Amino acid sequence: MQHSQKRVMHPKLDVERVELSNGLVLLLSENHSIPSVSINAIVQAGSRFEDDNKAGLASLVGSLLDAGTETRTSQQIAETIEAVGGQLGTYGNYQSSGVMVRALSQDTVLGLDVTSDLIMNPNFPEAKVREHVDRRIAQIKSRLDVPRTQASDVFNEIVYEGSPQHRPSIGYEGTVKTLTRANVEQFYRRFYVPQITKVAIAGDFDKNLVKGLVEATLGTWKAPGDFDIPEVRRPVRQTSPIFESVNAPKEQVNVIMGHLGIERSNPDYYALLVMDTILGSSPGFTSRIPRVLRDEQGLAYTTFSNITSSAALDPGRFIAYIGTAPENLERAVSGLRKEIARIVEGGVTEEELETAKLYLTGSFVFRFQRNSQIAEFLLEAEIYGLGFDFLERYPQLIREVSVEDVWRVTQKYIDPDNLTTVVVGPLEETGRQVA
Amino acid sequence: MTTLITTAGEVSEPGIQTRSFITRNVRKVTLSNGLTVLLKEMHHQPVVATMLWYRVGSRNEELGQTGKSHFLEHMLFKGTDRYKKGEIDLLTHLNGGSNNAFTWLDFTAYYFTFASDRWEAALEIEANRMRSTTFAEEEFESEKLVVEEELRIGLDGPWEALENEVWATAFRQHPYHWPTVGWIEDLEAASASDMKAYYDKWYHPRNAILVIVGDFESTEVLERVEELFGGIPPGPAASPLGIVEPPQRGEKRLTVKKQTPVERLLISYHAPQVAHPDSYVLKVIETILATGKASRLYQRLLEHDQSVTKADASYNDHIDPSLFYLQAELKPGFKLPDVERAMLEEVDRLKRSDLSEAEIDRAKRQIEASLVFGSEEALQQSMLLGQYETISYGEHVPTESRGFHYLDYLLERIDAVTSEQIAMVAKAYFTEDNRTVGYLIDQKNADETEHGRAA
Repeated sequence: MQHSQKRVMHPKLDVERVELSNGLVLLLSENHSIPSVSINAIVQAGSRFEDDNKAGLASLVGSLLDAGTETRTSQQIAETIEAVGGQLGTYGNYQSSGVMVRALSQDTVLGLDVTSDLIMNPNFPEAKVREHVDRRIAQIKSRLDVPRTQASDVFNEIVYEGSPQHRPSIGYEGTVKTLTRANVEQFYRRFYVPQITKVAIAGDFDKNLVKGLVEATLGTWKAPGDFDIPEVRRPVRQTSPIFESVNAPKEQVNVIMGHLGIERSNPDYYALLVMDTILGSSPGFTSRIPRVLRDEQGLAYTTFSNITSSAALDPGRFIAYIGTAPENLERAVSGLRKEIARIVEGGVTEEELETAKLYLTGSFVFRFQRNSQIAEFLLEAEIYGLGFDFLERYPQLIREVSVEDVWRVTQKYIDPDNLTTVVVGPLEETGRQVA
Repeated sequence: MTTLITTAGEVSEPGIQTRSFITRNVRKVTLSNGLTVLLKEMHHQPVVATMLWYRVGSRNEELGQTGKSHFLEHMLFKGTDRYKKGEIDLLTHLNGGSNNAFTWLDFTAYYFTFASDRWEAALEIEANRMRSTTFAEEEFESEKLVVEEELRIGLDGPWEALENEVWATAFRQHPYHWPTVGWIEDLEAASASDMKAYYDKWYHPRNAILVIVGDFESTEVLERVEELFGGIPPGPAASPLGIVEPPQRGEKRLTVKKQTPVERLLISYHAPQVAHPDSYVLKVIETILATGKASRLYQRLLEHDQSVTKADASYNDHIDPSLFYLQAELKPGFKLPDVERAMLEEVDRLKRSDLSEAEIDRAKRQIEASLVFGSEEALQQSMLLGQYETISYGEHVPTESRGFHYLDYLLERIDAVTSEQIAMVAKAYFTEDNRTVGYLIDQKNADETEHGRAA
């Protein structure tokens, strides 16, 4: 088996960061290999800023950004971008909202024009607000069709109790149907401001041309003087085990277990990334959970665990997941619990550590293949203060992690005695009980 | 070494239309044992994607033995004479790469992506497992459970349930009748020796296409390919399938009951195979109907009627004639027959040949741009090249569009589509007799209605 230390292939990124006078940050990276551009404009506001009784508001506002502006109807917006084969998406999620555009490079100017119009001038027509509210209520109902989503929703309600993250970003039927145009307008006025807006552009464009254009459009967006960022309530990690089951007429049972996780800014992030790779997050079936539960025992098609992939501004979650046949439920649950306990009690071996590090450093290059991935990285580097030299530093951050570091972080962040376990599936039919 | 190569490197000639940047600089070589090799150097990212395609999918299966192609794909990770179970994944992992595989109606494909200083492990693995997979009994039995779980995920998906039923109804004779994962009863009955026999029938150089895209040097790589694959015997020639689905004579309708809060509708029409002249027109129609918010189904069903949360149209290229279909997810309170009527009205509007140039142009630009957007990665390009090299073959495919050259002409053919052709094709295919309509309804509502009737 070959595994000599090879040099790490660096993706090369030339990044320019510009802060406009109104506080908006522009991040640019040229890449001329493919004739297209990705524009990713985000406002750092989302459902973490909304009240419980307005659950779903930030998401609704995000989805309404292309429902009309002062100079264009929704149909004109769609026709403008689609006439040149461009793709447009708007959204509001937990910690950010915004506009994403993909266009051929010859249409960069048009893409920027639409992006700034949607961010600065949406007018939220009353009829569109009603239409979106109705559609969302139907979408909320359809979450029950996806057992994994259903399990995840129930899990979040428990683990994030006390923080806004316990809610699905789309909201609840009960709250969404009460949302009004006035609520939408108010959220937009309060939070869509240049001080917390960042625009990343990656691809085949000319930086100087784009800088001038953005200055002339988003650069003129007025920054309110009295803007402040609201406090977000933090959840507390549970101190006792919790079990919750939901009966649903499905072929499989879906199991999620875990507890509160970490923030992206946590200095132990890299040691936990190595732990994730060893325990349950590697592609293929090399990590412990898929190797044992899928490859050896044949219990599942999908099974994994992770703590770092949900790390963001607020703490994410440590989860282990499995989807299995109802008759295997007990074996699956005890198998997951056993693997979680085993890594906490027994740690990892030098060989596992080296394997994980080789994977993490060797695969890094694949995160920079598409313009949309590069734009996303620019925003991540900016939001979490990673620095644009992160590409050069990353291999070292991973190589520094030792067996002792992994031991220390599993003790600190993984608690096998106090897990929340959620099971969704045909439970009554089988009469199975899991303690 | 190179003397064994029968076809000289054939670079897309400058004379022919190569409007597709995907096919630019593609070199095609056929080894003396019949293995087709496509190479494309692309040096802007330090990565290499390697794919091996086999022209075998659920299309090549028989009733009672469905799902074999897909199961076989799983078994190719379960051990060979050289790599024991788990070792292919471990090797990929140590080299920071990724690997996976997929099976569909017409093909089975395996891929690896690696950084360009360590990618040749992919070639070694593929060359070895083409003929040396071991099919150990215990591995077979434990993997059967995994495949059954994969099938159950599908059974829990409302769209999968409805799609399976529609294909099974629309196709009476042709193997597109069954889903790629197979019927669960067939899976349960499968044995390791069946699987080995199927492997021996299909996994040979003559039935395979190797695609390598990325940061490498062609001459060196060809030598390595020859070294690793050149000695494998060509294998039996695949005989043509010879099963033709007869024309449908009359509308077919079906209902699937499932406990779901959302009712769903699927309207399908038999439609032609890859590279058929009408297939390009149908691609434009698919886009006009359902790509983007300016599209007809979005405007009609989501904006005007506000009766659905999702509406879509899809039409994929296959070796044999397949289906063009329309789908919708209903909002509570709306009725399936009403949404069906609205969708059929939109389909009928296409028959009037009154589409504006702007609307047709928009669809053409969308198709062109999505090809560019979908080709940023070496792996995405190798998928497109491999897919068309695998499916665009046979006497019914015009010579110039055979294999990956299909992509040379795709945009030109799309560009040539006129509003008259759209009307003609819509009239030819979107007929009542050619239609299969599926409803997915809520089990609970259905039970209550039944009850109501009985009472």
